[in-house]
Amino acid sequence: MNLLQYLPGNSILHRLNPVAKLAAAFLLGICAIVSQSVIFTTLLIVLLLGICFACGLGKRALGLTRNLLVLGGMMFILQLFFVRSGDPMLSAGGFTLITQDGLSSAVLLGLRIIATMLPLMLLFAITEMNDLCGALVKRLHVPYRYAFIVTTAFRFVPLFTAEFHDIEDAQKARGVEYDGGLIKKLKLSVPLFVPLLMSSLKKVDSGAMSAQLRGFNLRTVSSGYREYPFTAADIGCILLSVLMIAAAAMI
Amino acid sequence: MLRFENVSFRYPHSDSSVEQLNLHIHKGEFVALIGSNGAGKSTISRLSNGLLKPDTGTVYLDGTPTTAIRTSQIARKAGFLFQNPDRQICQNTVREELAFGLKLMGLPEAEIQDRIADALGRFSLDGDWFPFSRSRGERQRIALASVLVCRPQLVILDEPTTGLDYKECTAIMEYLTRLNREEGLTILMVSHDMELVSQYAKRVLVLTGGRLIGDGAAGQIMKDRALLGKAHVLPAQIPALALRLDEGKEKPQFSDVFTIEEMFDTICRLRKKGDSEAGKGAALS
Repeated sequence: MNLLQYLPGNSILHRLNPVAKLAAAFLLGICAIVSQSVIFTTLLIVLLLGICFACGLGKRALGLTRNLLVLGGMMFILQLFFVRSGDPMLSAGGFTLITQDGLSSAVLLGLRIIATMLPLMLLFAITEMNDLCGALVKRLHVPYRYAFIVTTAFRFVPLFTAEFHDIEDAQKARGVEYDGGLIKKLKLSVPLFVPLLMSSLKKVDSGAMSAQLRGFNLRTVSSGYREYPFTAADIGCILLSVLMIAAAAMI
Repeated sequence: MLRFENVSFRYPHSDSSVEQLNLHIHKGEFVALIGSNGAGKSTISRLSNGLLKPDTGTVYLDGTPTTAIRTSQIARKAGFLFQNPDRQICQNTVREELAFGLKLMGLPEAEIQDRIADALGRFSLDGDWFPFSRSRGERQRIALASVLVCRPQLVILDEPTTGLDYKECTAIMEYLTRLNREEGLTILMVSHDMELVSQYAKRVLVLTGGRLIGDGAAGQIMKDRALLGKAHVLPAQIPALALRLDEGKEKPQFSDVFTIEEMFDTICRLRKKGDSEAGKGAALS
């Protein structure tokens, strides 16, 4: 499953203005960073999942959460063993392994990773890149060139992922063994990244040429026929996100 | 050399699959795999060298199940040439590119240098070339050379001539045919190019919807219009013309014609025969 792929739908989340969705995603991310409470951060994740299920995005949200759990788990382990302050909870041979502060900050950090990234990743599931690009140009007056660069970069992620897997297969077929330790993997990264870099440069070059041939430089704010008006739901969504930050700061 | 026993495979989140495939490719054969897009050709080629593992059934390469050995070990016996050479090429010079696979095999330096010198000559390559700046045809030649320099017993070619001009295409195919004929290299070629299949392959496998619907000598398959129609494949032009010329004839005269040369020779022979019969008739009258 491509986790950055747009999922078509007509839910209230889908219908929000792309700029409002982008703002809400950032604000909810800030909310997760501001929060110092494990309970609040957990509730934030549950709330986000609940909204996703209500809008028919439950499967994608669970998939994203599962992937983020891996990242959160890694951060949890690092934090657990590196925070030395607080009362010792687990010791071995006179050496403190886990402290109370370490555990609580590790849990908070793990949850924070999930709560910060989930809204940003969900943004891609409910927003078409063309709409995001158009709304950035129309509503925020971002120059089309820069809006296009940002949205194209995200659009290329799944393409590069697929290309990466194909290159990996091609190198395996030549006898490259990717199982093994980290050092071995690092040594064998050349046959993976050199072809990926070369093909990416070629893709970017041909993409730029194709865009120029279709009059990329002629595009202005008025070139897009779609308008992206703000509605009460958009303003409500942003306000709710700001209120969440305030609540996170107070708890 | 390669055996599929009741092999089934289905991609997750996709309709593409291979179902209950039984197949045996013998050492020294030149086999072409044909079918429309999504018929399962690439899946079979990837199952052959262990890049994909079957859901059910077993793929045997030289008597060993592909599930029992690592892909890197399979690579020593089965070389794979991808449609896009840029996925394989990863070194700064052609010489380093050729050495890459040999070093992975753990060969001694002297043998590596011998094989590289031999491959550079055979493929008309310059060892100091920067591979990425060469033409598509040259990159494909570099990729093929880096596969064959490892001297595999089986080589799997996935659309090997896509994007090549006639000269480059002929050079690559003639070289592979010579290896097949003289050194007994087993070749499994996936191709959409019916002219190429008709000209070079000795045996053809026809696929549709992940099922093998035809398996036989190239001559027999290339003239089976009904079978090719089922696989949504257009027959090559020369066999199609030969079939048309033999239509309704009691004694078919073009049944062994698959290439332009064979067609030319047969037409010349028939003209000579016609001329001599006309001469005999004139002498009698």
